[in-house]
Amino acid sequence: MNYIWAAAAAAGVMVFTALATAWAQSRIGTAISAALAEKPELGAQAVIMVAIPETMVILGFVVAVLIILRAGGAG
Amino acid sequence: MIIPMAKVRLIGPRSRLPEALAALQDIGLLHLADASHGEPVDALPLTAREQRLQRQLTRILEDTDAALAAMHAAGRRAPAAHAAPDLPAIARRARRARRAAEAIAARAAGLAEERALILKYRDFFAAFEHALAGVARFPHLTTYAAVVPAHERAVIPQLGDALRKEVGPEFAISTHELASGDVALLLVLPKSFAARIERALADAKLPEIPLPAGYSGATLAEAVPRMLDRLKAIPRDAEALARERAALAAQHAPALLAARGPMHDRLAELEAVARCGVTAHAFTVEGWLPLSAMPRLEEEVAKRFHDEMVLETIAREQWTAKDAPVVLSNPRVFRPFEMLVRVMPLPAYGTIDPTPFVAVFFPAIFGIMLGDVGYGLMLLGIAFLIRRKSRVGTTLRSVGDMAVPMAVFTIIFGVLYGEFFGDMGQRLFGMRPILFDRAEGVLAALALAVGLGFVHVVLGLVLGALSMRRSAPKHAVGKGVTALMVVLIVLALLAAFEVLPKALFMPAVIALLVAFPVLILTEGLVAPVELLASVGNALSYARIMALGTASVMLAAVANRMVGTMGSIVVGLIFALLFHLVNFAIGLFGPTIHALRLHYVEFFGKFYSPGGQPYRPLAHWSPGAPKDLTGSEL
Repeated sequence: MNYIWAAAAAAGVMVFTALATAWAQSRIGTAISAALAEKPELGAQAVIMVAIPETMVILGFVVAVLIILRAGGAG
Repeated sequence: MIIPMAKVRLIGPRSRLPEALAALQDIGLLHLADASHGEPVDALPLTAREQRLQRQLTRILEDTDAALAAMHAAGRRAPAAHAAPDLPAIARRARRARRAAEAIAARAAGLAEERALILKYRDFFAAFEHALAGVARFPHLTTYAAVVPAHERAVIPQLGDALRKEVGPEFAISTHELASGDVALLLVLPKSFAARIERALADAKLPEIPLPAGYSGATLAEAVPRMLDRLKAIPRDAEALARERAALAAQHAPALLAARGPMHDRLAELEAVARCGVTAHAFTVEGWLPLSAMPRLEEEVAKRFHDEMVLETIAREQWTAKDAPVVLSNPRVFRPFEMLVRVMPLPAYGTIDPTPFVAVFFPAIFGIMLGDVGYGLMLLGIAFLIRRKSRVGTTLRSVGDMAVPMAVFTIIFGVLYGEFFGDMGQRLFGMRPILFDRAEGVLAALALAVGLGFVHVVLGLVLGALSMRRSAPKHAVGKGVTALMVVLIVLALLAAFEVLPKALFMPAVIALLVAFPVLILTEGLVAPVELLASVGNALSYARIMALGTASVMLAAVANRMVGTMGSIVVGLIFALLFHLVNFAIGLFGPTIHALRLHYVEFFGKFYSPGGQPYRPLAHWSPGAPKDLTGSEL
C-alpha cells in the first residue's frame, strides 16, 4: 500500500514539475522568439534561456527517484 | 587570460596629424581613446567639409554593400586598388548597381512567389485540366473550383442536393482526391446561375480557390493551361535573371570591391580625427595596445617620425580598468573554448577570463553526462571529420576542436560506468563498471553530480574573491567567507550522515557560527540569501545525474528492441535508429545543460561582464570590424 502512495507521489512530482517547466518554457519561448526577430545574434543565449526552467523538472525527477528508492523500489 | 594593456599618448606638431593617423592606421595596433581633456588640450571637431565627406562615405558604403549583397558578390576577394577611388564616380556606380541589382532581386522574388502559388494548387489544376479544356469550348458555361478539407467531405452530397433545388439538373460536379486527403471539387454550370451558385457555395462554407494575381479576370478554363505552361517557363526565366545578375556583377563588382577598403579606411580616419586632442601647435592621440606590443609601436614611431613626435606611456594610476579594451589570450588547447565565453559579453578588464576553467569543466561535465564508450567514439569520429572539413580560425573548426576533449571525457566516463552503447558492452564483451553502474546506482550518480557541483561553485566563489581583491576588497573577503561556509556546510552534512568521522560535525558547526557574523559584516544582510543560493546552485548539478540516467535508460531500451521485435533484422534496425536518436539527444541535452551550469551557476559567482573589444585603428578588411584575439596579435 505504501508503495502505491510513493508511486503516486513520485508521479505527482513529475506531473507538476513538468507542467511548471512547460508553462515557463512556453512563456520564455514566446518572448525569446520576439527578441530573436529583432536580434538574431541572441540565438545562443536564447537556447540557454529556454533551458533554464528545465531545472524544475530535473529536480522533480531527482525527487521522484528518491521517493521511489525510499519506498523500496528498484535501486 | 586577459592580456595586460598599456595606455600611450602620442604627441606631435599639429600640422603632422594626418601623417600620424595614417601611420597609426598602417601599424594597426592602437585602440583609440578620447584625447581631449579640456583646456589646454581641446577636441578637434570635424570641419564642415569633413562632416560632408563622412556623410557621403557612409551613404556610398551603404549603397556599395547593398549592391554587392544583391549581386551575390559581397564575399568575393577585392582586386588590388592602385589609386584612391574617384568618389563621385563610385557613388554613381554604387547607386546604379544597387538599383539594378535590387530590381533583379525583386523580379527573382516575384518568380519564386509565382512558382510557389502555382505549385500550391498544381495538383488541383492538373486533376481537372481535361475537364476545363472541354468547358472552354462552351462559352455559356462557367466553372467554380474549391478544395473540401478531408474531414468535411460529407458536405459534397449536401451541396449537390442544394444545387439541384436551386438550379435544377443543369450542373455537373467532379471530384478528385488529392494526395493530402482533401477533395478537389469542380462545378460546371450555365453562367446564368452564377449569382445563385455563389450563394450556395457560401452556405456550404466552401470558398472558391483564388487565382494567382497575374491571372485575375481570366476564367478558370483560361487560366489553368496558362499557369501550367508558366510553371515550365519559370526555371528558364530564373536562369535568365541569374545570368543578368552575373553580368551586372562582372560589370560593377570589381570596382566596388576595390573601392570599399579605401572608403572604410578614410571613414575610420575621420572618426579618429574626432578623438584627437589639439592645442594651438600640437596634437595628441591616446589609445591602448597590448603591453607586449609596446616595443613594436615605439620602434615604428621612431622609424617613421624620428624626433618629431613623442610616444609616452600613461601611468596605470591615470586610467581606469573599465575604459580599457579587452583581449583574451589562451594556450592553443584552450582557445576553441573562447567561443563559449564570447556568447556572453566580454569580461571587464582586470577581472578573470574564465576560458581555462570552461575548457576543463565543460568537456568533463559533458562526459560525465553522456559517459558511453560507443557514443564517445562516434563523437570522436564526427570531431575529426569536422576538423578535416573546416579551415583554421573558423567557428566550425572551434566546434571540432571542442568536440575532441568532449569525446575523450565521454569515453573515459564510459569506461568508468562500464557502458558501450548502454548495456551492450556488458552483454557482449563482459564490460564491468569501475566506478558504479548508472542504471542501478542512482544515488551514487547523484552524489557524484552534487559533489562536482559543490567543487565548481566553491571554485567560482574563490575566483570571485580573487577577481575583487583589488577593486572591492571587502566584497572579496565576503566571497571568500561564503566559499568557506559552503565547504563547512558540506563537511557538517557529510559528518552528520557519517560519511566523514562524526567528530568533525561539531567543529564544522562552530566554524560556521564564527564565520556567519563575518559574512554579515562584509556582505550585508542579504549574505545569508546568497549563501543559500550558492548551496542551491550546487544542488542544480543534480541534472548531471538526471540526464545521465535518462541517457543510459534510453540506450538500454534500444538494446532490448533487438529481442522484442520478432525479427532480429527489424529489431536491429529499430535499435540502431533508437541509438542514433539517443546519440542526438545525448549531444544536445548535455551540451545545453553543461553550458547552463557554466553561465548561470559558475559564472554567476565571479564573472564581471562589461569589457569592450579591442578594435585598433587599422586598414579595413572584409569581415571587419571584429574583436581581435591574443592569437592574432
